[in-house]
Amino acid sequence: MAEVTIKNVKKVYPFRETDKPKKKGLFKKTVEEPVRRNNLERTADGVVAVQEFNLDIKDKEFIVLVGPSGCGKSTTLRMVAGLEEITSGELYIDGKLVNSVEPKDRDIAMVFQNYALYPHMTVYDNIAYSLKIKNTPKDVIDKKVREAAEILDITQYLQRKPKALSGGQRQRVAIGRAIVRNPKVLLMDEPLSNLDAKLRNQMRSEIIKLRKRIDTTFIYVTHDQTEAMTLGDRIVVMKDGFIQQIGTPQEVFDHPRNVFVAGFIGTPQMNFFDGELILKDGKYYVKTKGITVELSAEKQKRLHEHNVQPQEITLGIRPEHLYLSPEGIEGTVDVSELMGSSRHLHLNADGKDIIVIAPTDEADEGFNGKTVHLSFLGKSAHIFSKTDETNLEY
Amino acid sequence: MSKDINKSARIKLLISRIVVYGILIFLAFLCLFFFYLMIINSTRSNAQLKTGFTIIPGGHMLDNFINAWNDGSINIPVGMKNSFIVSSMCAVLTTYFSALTAYGTYVYDFKYKSLVHIFILAIMMIPAQVSAVGFIQLAYKYNLTNKLWMLIIPSIAAPSVYFYMRQYLEATLPLEMVEAARIDGSSEFRIFNTIVLPIMKPAVAVQMIFSFVGSWNNYFMPALLLNKAEKKTVPIMIAQLRSADYSKFDMGKVYMLMLMAILPVMVIYIILSKSIIKGVTSGSVKG
Repeated sequence: MAEVTIKNVKKVYPFRETDKPKKKGLFKKTVEEPVRRNNLERTADGVVAVQEFNLDIKDKEFIVLVGPSGCGKSTTLRMVAGLEEITSGELYIDGKLVNSVEPKDRDIAMVFQNYALYPHMTVYDNIAYSLKIKNTPKDVIDKKVREAAEILDITQYLQRKPKALSGGQRQRVAIGRAIVRNPKVLLMDEPLSNLDAKLRNQMRSEIIKLRKRIDTTFIYVTHDQTEAMTLGDRIVVMKDGFIQQIGTPQEVFDHPRNVFVAGFIGTPQMNFFDGELILKDGKYYVKTKGITVELSAEKQKRLHEHNVQPQEITLGIRPEHLYLSPEGIEGTVDVSELMGSSRHLHLNADGKDIIVIAPTDEADEGFNGKTVHLSFLGKSAHIFSKTDETNLEY
Repeated sequence: MSKDINKSARIKLLISRIVVYGILIFLAFLCLFFFYLMIINSTRSNAQLKTGFTIIPGGHMLDNFINAWNDGSINIPVGMKNSFIVSSMCAVLTTYFSALTAYGTYVYDFKYKSLVHIFILAIMMIPAQVSAVGFIQLAYKYNLTNKLWMLIIPSIAAPSVYFYMRQYLEATLPLEMVEAARIDGSSEFRIFNTIVLPIMKPAVAVQMIFSFVGSWNNYFMPALLLNKAEKKTVPIMIAQLRSADYSKFDMGKVYMLMLMAILPVMVIYIILSKSIIKGVTSGSVKG
């Protein structure tokens, strides 16, 4: 139950011995460029894992940090936890600056990807550990542990050791260990990544239920955009140490700020086409692969507000917004996957892979190898600048 | 046809089993023969021992025991007590501090960490005899001879135990567990004592046994440092009996004392054998 404010936080990891530029010869002054393992910025001080991170998390809000591996989401979470030092910037929990406060004094709890349960202790002792450290009376410990176990439905396993539990049960114990303390902020670092697909879905709904039962602020890290969309009040999309967009799941899905966010959020991934933005008689049109579509009134308004000039663009259309039509973007169906209620058509259009979600009554197995035409509505077009990949509407 | 194949396969299996069991029996014989030799010899008198080795035990076990126990030059109970104090203290302190050092270099990040690790390992290359010269000089200079703790304290620095502990930690302790304990509010020392040490139990048990046995059998340092009768350890007493002059020399007594000396070690081995096997094989398979 606390607000968390992250102000201009930056994290720089100093170079390790192996990362340092090496001199080529014993007496030569030329240096060899070290191997780059990612696109993170490198300064004289080291690799910049997170920068310009600004975020205000409201009390009891569920924030999800999402992004690909190495984008800095876990580092950010660990900085909030106090497990990583903050290179510069300020971190406030409940209005108190906590940059140099020990993790144990931040009143936070954390759930780790690999559970991090104490293997020699029973489930009961695992959950009770933090309370025992605080010298909480035994009867209070017992009450709280049983309450947490009740919430997570693990009462029958209290006397078992972690090795005698399944992955899902272990993760429940890890959550139990976190919630038993009533922390101000509950941090979760990819808690479902080690579970199989079915269990992950089940645990996801458990977390939603848990969130309703315990009144606290959640910060959740994941690389799975489905988790981000279903769990978060707001999601923070990150890439290469920078925040790309902050918004509600619907906002991020409907109005992605750049090509990266558009491609990262949503499954199957958004399709991108090279296109052209045309301004004719005061109206904006997009033109791609032989098709010209007038943009919706809402989009017209936003483009006019920003006085966007006609230009070459990257046009983004979600697979569910492309439909089969007598004319339009031409493509050959490579693969047709039946998903039950719909069919995913993988097309090849001028050497580009395109995915279309088509209703089963419109597309059948006979579509394999067929040439089809696709169209879209003006309201579903996402217009990105060719130069800096940002959304031209914002 | 298939019957023939079956038969030849069975013969091959039988031959390979015979070879394997033969080798194992031979190795087991090599290991156990010297124990048997010692036990048999402890039942024979000095005169019988001079005639050579026999497989059948003699009838002088009790005589040898009484003779050894009543030997004026040694005090067996005191020797056992001294050996036990030194060995158990060495075992406990060596393993605890080695585990603590290994934990320190594994979990914490500090400048020149790898250098510290290499330095500790490099100490393994220095023979005990080399460092003993300076140590003994120091002990005599400051009048620190005949003190049991002079055998205990230096043994705390054990690079090989440190190395074993460090390897064990790398294989079994995820750093997230330490971080989880930190967030749970535990102090660094408490994390080590209540979380890390119990996880390291098999490794600690193994190293405790090895240190105990090493210390129990140690003759070199005690022989240099201890010369008062009430401070002597068992190996010195055995050597003392062994080097007695011709009139008092009794090999039966020596074998009896050796038998008595290995009994505590055997008991400890039997009690902790489960942990040894668990410790030696730990990390070899995914748990």
